[in-house]
Amino acid sequence: MSTVSMTVNGKVVASVVEDRTLLVDFIREHLRLTGTHVGCDTSQCGACVVHVNGKAMKSCTMLAAAADGADVTTIEGVANGDLHPMQKAFNDNHGLQCGFCTPGMIMSGIDMVNRYKAEGKTLDEAAIRAELEGNICRCTGYHNIVKSIQQAAGEM
Amino acid sequence: MGLQNGYFRPTSVDEALDHLAANDLTIAAGCTDLFPATEQKTLGGPVLDISGITALRGFRKNETGITIGATTTWSDLIAAPLPSAFGGLKLAAREVGARQIQNRGTLAGNLCNASPAADGVPPLLTLDAQVVLASKAGRRVMPLADFLIGPRQTARRADELLEGVHIPASALMGDGQFLKLGARKYLVISIAMVAARLVIADGVVAEAALAIGACGPVAARLPKAEAALVGQPMDPGLINASHLQGYLAPIDDMRADAAYRTTVATELVQRILGRFAESRSA
Ligand SMILES: Cc1cc2nc3c(=O)[nH]c(=O)nc-3n(C[C@H](O)[C@H](O)[C@H](O)COP(=O)(O)OP(=O)(O)OC[C@H]3O[C@@H](n4cnc5c(N)ncnc54)[C@H](O)[C@@H]3O)c2cc1C
Ligand code: FES
Ligand code: FES
Repeated sequence: MSTVSMTVNGKVVASVVEDRTLLVDFIREHLRLTGTHVGCDTSQCGACVVHVNGKAMKSCTMLAAAADGADVTTIEGVANGDLHPMQKAFNDNHGLQCGFCTPGMIMSGIDMVNRYKAEGKTLDEAAIRAELEGNICRCTGYHNIVKSIQQAAGEM
Repeated sequence: MGLQNGYFRPTSVDEALDHLAANDLTIAAGCTDLFPATEQKTLGGPVLDISGITALRGFRKNETGITIGATTTWSDLIAAPLPSAFGGLKLAAREVGARQIQNRGTLAGNLCNASPAADGVPPLLTLDAQVVLASKAGRRVMPLADFLIGPRQTARRADELLEGVHIPASALMGDGQFLKLGARKYLVISIAMVAARLVIADGVVAEAALAIGACGPVAARLPKAEAALVGQPMDPGLINASHLQGYLAPIDDMRADAAYRTTVATELVQRILGRFAESRSA
């Protein structure tokens, strides 16, 4: 057992966990932040994407202990009073059906918009589709997800 | 908690080597190969997590060449300013899983995992890569081609850490390319992939390094094809199936059968060479 401590959505949290606890289990089971989903056991689906020190990562492929001291943001932490522009865009564009993939889509969406902005590149439709390769949706056919991210990219 | 459940996260190489000398440990870096292969909720046995060794993250350059530290991620590699000889390795980096995988997964993990379909291997073979293995007993350096023994088999001893990947200065010349064939465009394990590094002077190939992956137990250089190019004006048509014969030992698996792999191997080599021909005429 070891004590891991990190900042999650702006709050410092510390917990004693079994050493090999996955970050996603730490988030869901210890912190009870169940917006981060688990859709596969092969690190493919992207339902579990969170930001670790500002970068998108699959929390199912990371140990909680490896995030010790890190700054983690989950879907619960992106709204700042009002919905985040990415959340609003998914709402406006009907970017979800069952919603299972949505937290991961939004976390990946925010990451790609921020990254393209920082690099001064344009995030066009083709780039969004390519960037979404790590997130799988079985409902929407992606079309409205792409539209949502396009809208948010203009507003962020 | 006994060692059964041990978890070590050293911050220095020395500390890591002490742990490796004392215990039989599973090394964990980005865990993007380890977890999907575990088929359980946790890793079995004691774990040495090297992701906290910041001294091993990034690139070191000196007159002997460039060394890529063991905790360097694929995203680090994509972002790094490197000579155009690394072009193939950078293209391969973009094809490893997706961005979230590239943010965690390391080049060293790709090599140690020793999958025949590891996308990092062919470009590194064209860069004459050497691996640096460190233990309490000292360090040894060996060519990547000797390090990779077979599927999931390497020459690493249990007490050794792959500390870095060294690209000798002699291999930093020219331009690198990478081409991967998968059943679909994104998030896919290679059916076959090729890498090339060519030095072209006045339209003539001065140096050629070609490698192919997923067409045998380990990725391999293609010396006969390389020899066919050197001294000639760049032309993909110089290569035919006979130049690859003897260097391929593909298997049938769920991604493709051996006959298909043999056919596409030549096609992929011709296509990657076509990129050099294009960039020359452009
Ligand atoms: C969805 C998905 C898609 C993927 N797509 C691709 C792809 O397209 N192409 C591809 O090549 N790979 C792919 N991979 C595999 C994987 O992401 C890469 O091989 C990655 O580079 C592994 O690095 P890691 O740091 O995560 O290794 P880990 O999982 O941490 O380790 C892998 C192995 O190497 C050992 N190891 C790690 N570092 C060291 C070291 N420094 N010294 C000694 N031993 C060490 C570990 O003990 C383990 O056996 C994919 C994985 C996933 C989950
Ligand atoms: S649960 Fe993490 S990628 Fe599917
Ligand atoms: S909305 Fe159902 S999986 Fe994407």
